[in-house]
Amino acid sequence: MKRDLISMHDLTAEDIQVYLDTATRVETISLKERFQLLQGKIMASLFFEASTRTRLSFEAAMYRLGGNVIGFAEQAATSVSKGESFSDTIHTVENYSDVIVIRHPKEGTSRHAAQISYLPVINAGDGTNQHPTQTLLDLYTIIKNFQKIEGIRIAFVGDLKYSRTVHSLLQALMKFRVNEFMLVSPDSLRLPEYLKRVETDFPITFMETKDLEDAIPYADIIYMTRIQRERFPDQIEYEKVKDAFCLNAGMLKKAPEQMKVLHPLPRVNEIAPDVDDTPHAEYFRQAKNGLTMRQAILLNVFEVTI
Amino acid sequence: MSDKKIQMIPKIRSGIVIDHIPAGDGVHILEILERDPALKNVPITFGMNYQSNKLGSKDMLKIQKDDLCERTIQHISLVSPGVTIKRIRDFEVVEKVSVQPPKEMVNLLRCLNPSCITQNEPGLKTRFILTDPQKNLVMCVYCEREFSIHELSPIV
Repeated sequence: MKRDLISMHDLTAEDIQVYLDTATRVETISLKERFQLLQGKIMASLFFEASTRTRLSFEAAMYRLGGNVIGFAEQAATSVSKGESFSDTIHTVENYSDVIVIRHPKEGTSRHAAQISYLPVINAGDGTNQHPTQTLLDLYTIIKNFQKIEGIRIAFVGDLKYSRTVHSLLQALMKFRVNEFMLVSPDSLRLPEYLKRVETDFPITFMETKDLEDAIPYADIIYMTRIQRERFPDQIEYEKVKDAFCLNAGMLKKAPEQMKVLHPLPRVNEIAPDVDDTPHAEYFRQAKNGLTMRQAILLNVFEVTI
Repeated sequence: MSDKKIQMIPKIRSGIVIDHIPAGDGVHILEILERDPALKNVPITFGMNYQSNKLGSKDMLKIQKDDLCERTIQHISLVSPGVTIKRIRDFEVVEKVSVQPPKEMVNLLRCLNPSCITQNEPGLKTRFILTDPQKNLVMCVYCEREFSIHELSPIV
């Protein structure tokens, strides 16, 4: 059976642990050895929506493992712009590659692709729904910093309504029995209720606030997000909240010593540049961990054991 | 003849009775029956607001046809879960089932999320999973949004 990676819904804590362990082992293997692992394999990189980190790190991961990459970085460069259906694009691309990585602005696109293609499909972000590879690299970053996931105190800040990285990570943390979350957002960008209704055998507490300062002394991790202009149906609503939260170095004086600031990037103005020089800034290392995790994901998809 | 019997719509010799419909839901079930081409020329009697020990007040439908197709029954179970479907032969009830929404619903409901792939890819069948039978909540398998069944329009 092919191995797809579509949604955190599909993964157990044990499944996630396999990815985390593989990522840890990837870092112990020399570049020369790594280059032998996926020789002759081709990854189709289908980005129907703009991306910098996810696309480049996936492509770099494939090259690091000795494989090759075909694909496109925007929909305008494809036959979809001529009216071709998504299904036809997938059936065409599967003739030329061994794995398909998809980012698409419509929710559920990767699930659909995985159902119609005989190739493994990796979801690199589907609309506001899921971004499982980001979640896995976020978890890997947490493990690298804290050596554990259970019991971690995390505050999600900013756009909790549309941010797929928040949605995916929240679900994953619950699988590791994290039972307390601080949610910092304006009223219009609060976490949707359906994401709070999760069946667990332990109680979960959500502490909601509009004040970023509440989160700083509390958290092991502050997970900042960008207010995403492109997700707002109404631009006036975007203007009202675009500058709602801005973390700066001065605010971090009250932070616990071990506290780390994560961000899926790109940032706009929600983290001031002076935070970069503090020991709390972890977001660039987090992006680097993306390259390691995406190598682990590709190895897992191709069932290559290291 | 008792008052109760005077109120009831006439018995049918053979066919289907949909009973224990919460008052007000009968109209929605009638809409579903109207969309079923197999029922085009079938006599259907509809009664509203009968007294009911179980519900307080109920609607009832009598259909002079021996069976209902699976898809119509599934649609009824989504609109009004818990109604009773009785099969009648020679004025007697020969079979009685209480219908509940299926665990998985394929192409029965339209997703409300305009950004869901099912709204944008021609021919793609919708799929919903029943996540909370008590609250009648379903999750779209594609966009993973959760909805109340009553928010969603049926696919006819």
